[in-house]
Amino acid sequence: MSGGVAPEQPDGARVLRADVEILANGVEGGANRRLALRLPAGWPGFAPGQFLMLSPGAVGAARRDDPLLPRPMAIYRVGEAGGQASGLEVLYRVTGRGTALLSDARAGERVRIVGPLGHGFPPPDPGAEALLVGGGTGIASLFELARRSAPRARVRVLLGARTASDLMGRGDFERLDAGLDVATEDGSAGRRGLVTELLERSLHAEAVVYACGPTPMLRRVAALAHAARARAFVSLENTMACGFGVCLGCAVPCAAGGYALVCRAGPVFAVDAVAWEGLP
Amino acid sequence: MKEGGKAAQPLRSEAQPSGERGGRASPGPGPAGIDTRVDLGGIALRNPVLTASGTFGYGTEFAPFLDLRRIGGFVAKSLTLEPRQGNPPPRIVETPAGMLNAIGLENVGVDAFLAEKLPALPEGVAVVASVFETEIDRYAEACKRLTGPPRVVGIEVNASCPHVKSGGIEFGQRAELLARLVRATRGATSLPLLVKLSPNVTDIAEMARVCEAEGADALSLVNTLQALDVDVETRRPALRNVLGGLSGPAIRPVALRMVFQASRAVRLPICGIGGIASAEDAIKFLLCGATAIQVGTANYLNPMAAVEIAEGIAEYAARHGFARVADLVGALELP
Repeated sequence: MSGGVAPEQPDGARVLRADVEILANGVEGGANRRLALRLPAGWPGFAPGQFLMLSPGAVGAARRDDPLLPRPMAIYRVGEAGGQASGLEVLYRVTGRGTALLSDARAGERVRIVGPLGHGFPPPDPGAEALLVGGGTGIASLFELARRSAPRARVRVLLGARTASDLMGRGDFERLDAGLDVATEDGSAGRRGLVTELLERSLHAEAVVYACGPTPMLRRVAALAHAARARAFVSLENTMACGFGVCLGCAVPCAAGGYALVCRAGPVFAVDAVAWEGLP
Repeated sequence: MKEGGKAAQPLRSEAQPSGERGGRASPGPGPAGIDTRVDLGGIALRNPVLTASGTFGYGTEFAPFLDLRRIGGFVAKSLTLEPRQGNPPPRIVETPAGMLNAIGLENVGVDAFLAEKLPALPEGVAVVASVFETEIDRYAEACKRLTGPPRVVGIEVNASCPHVKSGGIEFGQRAELLARLVRATRGATSLPLLVKLSPNVTDIAEMARVCEAEGADALSLVNTLQALDVDVETRRPALRNVLGGLSGPAIRPVALRMVFQASRAVRLPICGIGGIASAEDAIKFLLCGATAIQVGTANYLNPMAAVEIAEGIAEYAARHGFARVADLVGALELP
């Protein structure tokens, strides 16, 4: 992470643009939704932490100019059904017009995706203790990392949200061979408080932290990891117009000076590579 | 061309990897028999679709999505003499049918562009270099350094930069400043010289005439419209830079009007820019007098937009009995 020019996509990685069929688009809990998409032909697989650009709503015969920009969304998982990969899943929260239009899209309609994009989480070393910390919609970035790491590392997942119904994917995490602790701000599930308070009690120098969530949460994760001398990786969210390194809109300040693009250098960064005081 | 016309365009369900030497020489896309070539002020283009500066990176970013040799050419990210880091975030915000940006000149600089970015492109790609500076002599120096290397087929002078010595007014906003800028850059390069005009003026025809008188070969219009958005929850401007440039479909009718007016004021060929997202949009600009067009913001939401637009223009020409796409230029039937 240096200068303003990000490295290329991972070697050999393919990026698709495809209009894909919606298999399901239902309520996950509260304002959260679970979108399942038919895997496009030539889907190259993905690394945990990579993302898609998703059209704000179904694409149809009539072009829609407003809202204009696609939305970056973490790839939650490629769902299994009867042993076969059945769909590409995205968990999202209805927060504005784009996500409201997306939530109106029905099975059988199509959405446009560009992806997989960005660099994902570096996997934990075999046998290492991995602490996965997810807040709000940031939880969605962590499921695949937890699923793939659980057989080879000691994975402990810490999830936080405002209230129980906002804890997206909780049932999926419970089925993994991983420890799971939950915090909600209103105490309706797990411990009352913030997920970073769970982290504070579990953190030690040998653990490696993987975190995704709102900026104040990540700032706190950065401070805790620094104090404990633990390695930590964060997945940043940002507004972006393209997702593949040309709009230059998703720049974040680097600790070493200059800016890095969340879409190309990230979305996953080593926690000490980010100049946290310069993040909006 | 009604909405239903789009359905005729096949939508590729998957991008083809490109960038390899495919041996595809020069035919423009589109139905056989349609001549898609145009001449933009001495730049021979295989079709009239370029991509706009700042929306297409240095070209290689689009290699996963389209064959760069199937578009007319691309205008690279604006270059300054020295590399620039750009503005602190937030740099962009979505607005009704558009977006605001204030990226702040982030680029690798002229020398790194020539040494690293240009050689990474496949053969047969027409590259227009864009220059952007704060002083006239620095603009001229950038033009000089960009003249000579193969594949740079022309230079686009971005006249929307604030002129430091004039207190930040854009070069393109004052006729006398614009004249000096065009004169200096004209003298610095033998390549075809395009001047990209600011829309933030009262009389675009006057600015077009200034460029013609000073020896420009073509005009690109328009750049983004200066604009502002506010976050009411924080009571702050949406962009850290406060002001930004508006692009996207929201500005298309304004851009079309300016192309129409400029094309009637000068004989210079015009490259139309502003919210073009479909072949239908592009054809409107051709009919209003643009010789070629640039696709900008649409590249973000559809990285294959430029190729689809080039194909759609040729299909339109065939459907309406035009043997040459160039015959569409200025073919507007006025009442």
